[in-house]
Amino acid sequence: MAGVEITEETKQQAERMGSADVVVGIAGAVSAEDVRVRAERAIGELGSSVAALRFVFTWPGTIAETANGSGEATEKSAITMAPFTPPAQAAVEFWSQVSAHQRAVLALAESLNARACIVLGSDLAALEAHAIQLFAYSILDRQCGLVMPVYPAAKYEGLINSGILSPLSRALYGKRIRNPLTFDFAVSGALCGRLAQAPAAEASGPSLLWPVTIAATQFPQTPIGQVHVDVRHEVSTGGLELSAVLGQIAGSLFQEMERCASHWQRIRGSQATPIWGNAGEGQPEGEPIDAQPMLDSFLLGSKSLDEVWRLVLPPNTLLELRRLTRLMPEQFHMPDELWASIVYDFALAYRLRTIGRVHLLGALTPLYLGWVASYIREVSTLSSSDAEQRLEQFSRAWEEKKPYLLQRWRWPDRFNP
Amino acid sequence: MWQQIEQSLHTSMGLVMNKIATLLPGILAFIVAFLFFLLVGWLLSALARWILSAVKFDERMSRGASAIAEWSPSATPSLLIGRIVFWCFVTAGVVVGVSALGTSEHIISDWMLGYVPRVMGAAILLLAGNVLARFVSRSVLITGVNLNLSYARLLSMGVRWMILVLTGAMVLDHLALGGAIVELGFGILFGGIVFALSLAVGLGSRDLVSRSLEREAARPVEIPQPEKVHHF
Repeated sequence: MAGVEITEETKQQAERMGSADVVVGIAGAVSAEDVRVRAERAIGELGSSVAALRFVFTWPGTIAETANGSGEATEKSAITMAPFTPPAQAAVEFWSQVSAHQRAVLALAESLNARACIVLGSDLAALEAHAIQLFAYSILDRQCGLVMPVYPAAKYEGLINSGILSPLSRALYGKRIRNPLTFDFAVSGALCGRLAQAPAAEASGPSLLWPVTIAATQFPQTPIGQVHVDVRHEVSTGGLELSAVLGQIAGSLFQEMERCASHWQRIRGSQATPIWGNAGEGQPEGEPIDAQPMLDSFLLGSKSLDEVWRLVLPPNTLLELRRLTRLMPEQFHMPDELWASIVYDFALAYRLRTIGRVHLLGALTPLYLGWVASYIREVSTLSSSDAEQRLEQFSRAWEEKKPYLLQRWRWPDRFNP
Repeated sequence: MWQQIEQSLHTSMGLVMNKIATLLPGILAFIVAFLFFLLVGWLLSALARWILSAVKFDERMSRGASAIAEWSPSATPSLLIGRIVFWCFVTAGVVVGVSALGTSEHIISDWMLGYVPRVMGAAILLLAGNVLARFVSRSVLITGVNLNLSYARLLSMGVRWMILVLTGAMVLDHLALGGAIVELGFGILFGGIVFALSLAVGLGSRDLVSRSLEREAARPVEIPQPEKVHHF
């Protein structure tokens, strides 16, 4: 996935439309009518505050789908409805398809010379007035280059994001982003083209965290912000097992680490990013969750996958894991530093091809479930906001453990007890 | 008498020296053939790696899950192919060298010469069988653990030994050792395992299976509960 080229048909359409202030793009298959209804409602609710701006709403589709069916984009008041032809792609993985659509939206926004581009998920949950207003405000008024969403706090949601993506991305690239892998984000006009055309991923595979990674590594001076978006996305895994999805996401992340090694090795610490908007109410406390099935998966893994883990993890970590297996279920707790070093060691093994990559990523699942079990036990008595505080402390542990990653990455053959 | 013994010893020594003298050109031919193929193998291996690197073969292969890299994780696919080319030529060098050694005065019998390719084929079979056994057993183990199968390790070990036994039988068959005994033994072993399993399930576990089926039939349809923990 080098730079994204928009199709000739979309280019011609962009030329006919001229320019736009804000492009709002949907990154996935969606009904044109749904987009139109929601877009009109959102712009209607925003009223005079956006009267001076020209909005273009776009989604992957054909021009014939638009309301008049005349082959031209439809214009009504301040908004223009204009589908773009989705890029031809070989990607079959869910997140890779989403990424391809997101980049196509950015490419279209660049050709329209838009001042801001807002990319939203295909479930249209974020296509509402408040989210659009916040994204547009942070780009147009606060001069941010990239704006990422912060979703309402929920203790037991987005655990791959909380347990791996967010802390690892923060430790590597030095930006405190709560949701680096997301459906919704906004980009300034200046950055649109750069992000769309940047060679985010070579032939080795698609990049999933590309907006944050590219902005942090290739355009480090770009101001990054976050906005509270009060929506919940229902993510479909397409019937895939947890291990398959975790493998896809972690594999992509490790590939990205390999590609950007020269950048992240120079970064120390992390910078806070400004957050706008009010945090929505956290999810109401439901019934307590039983972590025992996850703990059982971890214990089964530690009993059976010892021979694989031994190839990847240093003796000290294996010793720690053995100690964990001997604990009583109610005492089970995986230290933050231990989980961070496990993920770092897996990233290194991925780079060194210590074992087959499919096997390596498969062997990560029981360890991840061990962390989930530990986390669930720990936050079960905490409120959602306290759990967020706990995740902040957790992410700091990853930063503190980064010298370990650097040392192992640079001198993998050095003795490591 | 002493003179006769001395005469015999002289004659024997003469024969030995004669044999050694006739062997030397053969050894020289072996060394020359071997070094020639070694050199050609090294050159072609380097050429293959250069071409594969030019067409970005490694990157193309690393896209799919079934990539060569999965079978040999520590080496890149182009390096692996380079090594295969090199060792093919080394093997050819040994075969040509041995045949050159053999043609010099028939020091090595035709039977032994004909056996060399078999030994090499058997070695390749053994190597491939081991790699396959390791890969498949590890795949079964990891998939089994991720499916929460408590017997995943046992299953993986069973698969590993199944492939190793099959490989062993194929190697012995290829070497033409043991003749019909290997085929017979292998058939009996496999047949025995299948028969034992059939008996265990059909007779030993008959009641257990019927009870399990009855339980399944009587169980009310469960409405799937929504997941409380969301990983994504």
